[in-house]
Amino acid sequence: METFINPKSLFHLLLLPCLLLYSSIAYNSSPVEAAMHTNNWAVLVCTSRFWFNYRHMANTLSLYRTVKRLGIPDERIILMLADDMACNTRNKYPAQVFNNENHRLNLYGDNVEVDYRGYEVTVENFLRVLTGRHETAVPRSKRLLSDEGSHILLYMTGHGGDEFLKFQDSEELQSHDLADAVKQMKEKHRFKELLIMVDTCQAATLFNQSPGVLAIGSSMKGENSYSHHLDSDVGVSVVDRFTYYTLAFFERLNIYDNASLSSLFSSYNPSLLMSTAYYRKDLYKRRLEEVPVTNFFGSVMETIHTDAAYKALSRRNSGRFEDEMSLDQSVHHIKRRMLIKVNDGDEIHDINPELLQGEEGASKCPWSTFRKKFQKAENVDSLLNYGLVAMIPLLVISTWLVQ
Amino acid sequence: MELSFTQGRWNYESWGGFDPISSSNAKPPGVELWAVFDVPQHHIDASWKNLTHTLSGLFCASINFLESTATYSTPEWSFPPASGNVRYGTLPCEAVCTENLTPWLKLLPCRDKAGIALLLDRPSLYRGFYHSQRGRCVLAKSSSVYLLLDRGLVAELKFPNKENGKSAANGLTSENFWSNPSFELSVNPDRIFLEESSSHSKSLSILYMFQVEKYSESEPFDIGLMWKVPVAWLCQQTPLHASRFLMGSGNERGAIAISLKSTQFTEGFMSANSKDGSCELRVDVFQVVPWYVKVYFHSLRVFVDQQPRAVSDFIEKIHVSPSKDKMSPGVMEVVLKLPCRVNTAALTIEFDKGFLRIDEYPPDANQGFDIPSAIISFPNFHASMVFLEDDSLNRSPLLSKFQEKCPVMSYTEVLLVPLTTPDFSMPYNVITIKCTVFALYFGSLLNVLQRRVAEEERFLKAKAAKKTGRLPLLLSKLSAKLRGSGINQD
Repeated sequence: METFINPKSLFHLLLLPCLLLYSSIAYNSSPVEAAMHTNNWAVLVCTSRFWFNYRHMANTLSLYRTVKRLGIPDERIILMLADDMACNTRNKYPAQVFNNENHRLNLYGDNVEVDYRGYEVTVENFLRVLTGRHETAVPRSKRLLSDEGSHILLYMTGHGGDEFLKFQDSEELQSHDLADAVKQMKEKHRFKELLIMVDTCQAATLFNQSPGVLAIGSSMKGENSYSHHLDSDVGVSVVDRFTYYTLAFFERLNIYDNASLSSLFSSYNPSLLMSTAYYRKDLYKRRLEEVPVTNFFGSVMETIHTDAAYKALSRRNSGRFEDEMSLDQSVHHIKRRMLIKVNDGDEIHDINPELLQGEEGASKCPWSTFRKKFQKAENVDSLLNYGLVAMIPLLVISTWLVQ
Repeated sequence: MELSFTQGRWNYESWGGFDPISSSNAKPPGVELWAVFDVPQHHIDASWKNLTHTLSGLFCASINFLESTATYSTPEWSFPPASGNVRYGTLPCEAVCTENLTPWLKLLPCRDKAGIALLLDRPSLYRGFYHSQRGRCVLAKSSSVYLLLDRGLVAELKFPNKENGKSAANGLTSENFWSNPSFELSVNPDRIFLEESSSHSKSLSILYMFQVEKYSESEPFDIGLMWKVPVAWLCQQTPLHASRFLMGSGNERGAIAISLKSTQFTEGFMSANSKDGSCELRVDVFQVVPWYVKVYFHSLRVFVDQQPRAVSDFIEKIHVSPSKDKMSPGVMEVVLKLPCRVNTAALTIEFDKGFLRIDEYPPDANQGFDIPSAIISFPNFHASMVFLEDDSLNRSPLLSKFQEKCPVMSYTEVLLVPLTTPDFSMPYNVITIKCTVFALYFGSLLNVLQRRVAEEERFLKAKAAKKTGRLPLLLSKLSAKLRGSGINQD
């Protein structure tokens, strides 16, 4: 009897932990997918020092201006500038930074807020910002206070090479360090989606180890990124090609446009850039045509009007509450721009047709409710819990049969 | 607490040093922060650290570098109130730009959209030779613009040296003041204040006040001053003009010299106080030197009127806190008593340059390292102006500020000390060379031990014999050739 018992009971004993493991993994991943997109952050880093690297400063400030113009406030932007160009004594135009020869735009503006300046821009501080491990005295304006509903734009520019980025001419950030930081951020749920944009030589090698993020670099391995043009008045090159064309794309937009990321990525012409702008989206689940650029570069949120003040409910309950409200509103607000819908919009999208069929449908057939629950992404964990509970009697029966 | 951001150097020679504006407002270049703490002694360091970090986040500057023990110090006499709870730190090479101005403006109710702050056009602001912003704001109910006619200017206008024989003394304070022969104002002032009395000067300054709220969009407030005749005047200067410089050459040692020269003021002062020959001018010198400039305090020498003199003759008190390597800076506070008729005086002190570890160098180490400004103060004299005011209820904050008794202070220059810098590419070079050597050694060692050349050739031959097609045969020949071992053809 023992010889019969042992293999089968062992098999069943092993099955249970495997189920538990699987369910725990699934449970861990499901809250991230279920989190709503609530805020946008931008971390803009310029890593070069000295006057002849004016163009890197202009790159970063161009992005800063774009991101501010499209809606991200200063509190959610971490701007790291490794040197002071605007009030540099060599600058013929004090307090002004230009990215074009025609001096049309003063990027420095009147309201710039630089969080990390000069010698503070180090690899250590950069990684601390990403992972969120600061000393207690560090003020809030210098911290990346993102949560699991944040979309983060990480833009880095400077001199780089194969799998590294040079910081201030004295140290370097390696691609595996960056990948480590990104992985830590992922485990700590510090972002929902992350877009890494790198404008250096051989930029694509910097993020080739970072998994699960959307990334675009200005050049591939073995290629250099070039500056766009030289401003003979200021005396140095004022902008890099990749950022110049990025900016040309964004200057046409305002906060209400719904250009998608794929149009941004396809607007780069390799012959004009003199390098290949390479992007990776292998682990990014959504299609790029559906993602508006304001998801990362701006801050456009869907506001849901509620008639009554809502109490502080749990997340899932509040979702259902809003759905009931939106049922009334959906009759009036049928015309909605499709692309502006972000993830919570997706949920409303899914829910609306069902609710429009009639709320009676929800309570009539338990099988249909079970199917609807099965279709909803956020109930996978509860389904797994049901499945696990259902497995236990099976296990008991099989061991009894064996005995 | 006082925090100031300054770009440029206050030119004491041309712009004066005796009036309250230059004495209490002229600041050293970069960032200066001093704070008085109200907490127990052992909490002060932690509070200072929190303060510097908070300010760095608030004002977008690297003030958090002051929290490291290399840059703060505790002065004893130079700062009123003299107590042990004062902390002082300065960053001489901190850039001041628009981002430092933005938080100040955010504190104002209308930011820079209305009021006097509209005038802050960033490019023109940062184009000037000197600009400074300081943290001590009093919210006023009304705005006024003040035009201060310096004592020297008033003296010049009253008793002009030029051929204008007509005395314009009455013209400045009477009703039709704008028709005096020297200058013309486009707007008439609302009130005129006269300084009460000055113990150090014959003439008294005049303050014109213009109230901004009387003007509006239709009649904008546009004040202009036009000089009808060229007028040159000398602003009242500090009793002694202080400057500082480095002596010596090379990367090992050097000396710091503080030189004090008499100015026109001292002559006037002497003539006023020449009752007996024993009048003394007290000068306080406060200097902080970072730890990598190792000062030898025993080598302090005093030169009066270009003659070396004994230190004990002229130094009344000296308080020295020697630097600790990598821990705290060296602080020196000296109280000098110089005779009133002094022409020049100088203090020299020698130092050795310290040795930094490679990770302590800033990224642009070849620029050099800064020694912050020294503070020279003259406690005998008070830079304050008392103005006669009719209604003491409506005391404007600016006039109250002018009346505060604070000693005359001046800041010396910031010194740039070149230290020895290593070749920063050496660690990379060393690592690369060593790894190459190791790789070559172990590679060849393993090759010699493990590789059997004859067996390899036989293996290749067997592989070649197995291949039937023409193309694989060619390929195998090619690869064998590339690998360097020959293949024998049949």
